[in-house]
Amino acid sequence: MTNDHTRHRPTGFGNPWLQLGLSVLCVFVSEFLLKRGATDVAEPDSAFSWTGINCLKSSLVWWAILLIIASFISWLYVLRYVPITVAYPLSRVVDILVPLGCWIFLGELISTTRWCGIALVVVGLGLVAKPVAQIEERL
Amino acid sequence: MSALAFFLIVVSLLSFVAAQLILKRAMEFSAANGLRNSRFVSLAAIGVALMTISFFLTLGLLQRFDLSYLYPFQGLSVIFITLLAAVALKENLSARLMLGALLITAGIVLVSIS
Repeated sequence: MTNDHTRHRPTGFGNPWLQLGLSVLCVFVSEFLLKRGATDVAEPDSAFSWTGINCLKSSLVWWAILLIIASFISWLYVLRYVPITVAYPLSRVVDILVPLGCWIFLGELISTTRWCGIALVVVGLGLVAKPVAQIEERL
Repeated sequence: MSALAFFLIVVSLLSFVAAQLILKRAMEFSAANGLRNSRFVSLAAIGVALMTISFFLTLGLLQRFDLSYLYPFQGLSVIFITLLAAVALKENLSARLMLGALLITAGIVLVSIS
């Protein structure tokens, strides 16, 4: 890790690996806030609620929006110092954390079929993530 | 899952993917021409508008479905970005990419029937 991208890396709060972790954490937490917020104010019988705009009544949704903006800023910062070929696959760890969190925190019952599906998606993402990151770096 | 829900999942996904590609184009354009020009502003505005559409459609869906059910569909965005990048940039699709895309698709089929 001594190429141009990773040299002179700041330490402390500016450490890009810390920022990558924070970015992933923000995305992870925001998914649950959105789910809880959307469920709290759900109006499944109203056609208008398909637009999701009714969810702005929930303060949890607004916290999620703040976290999404924070994760976006962290992510842009990470890309200044860490090659996207490294950062992108690491950021996909959230694909494992979200289903686990659904099971642990939301108490969603995940059937064997759904677990198998989630596992296939994770393996597939692992295979695809590296080539995609290389393509994005060339874009 | 109703046809409407499936349609909205696909629209949400496609608007997210389109937003990513348009924002990328906007940032490339800004690197060459700076931020103060109408083309950058209009591209960025379209990108942000598409992201917003995708966000609200997701909120509409989250009121009705489990997060563990909806989340794997986001994996499809990787396939769409890969395919569109391959078409736009004339990249060769490697066997590894195709295998990954097949696994993701198979996984999503399993999740959607669960």
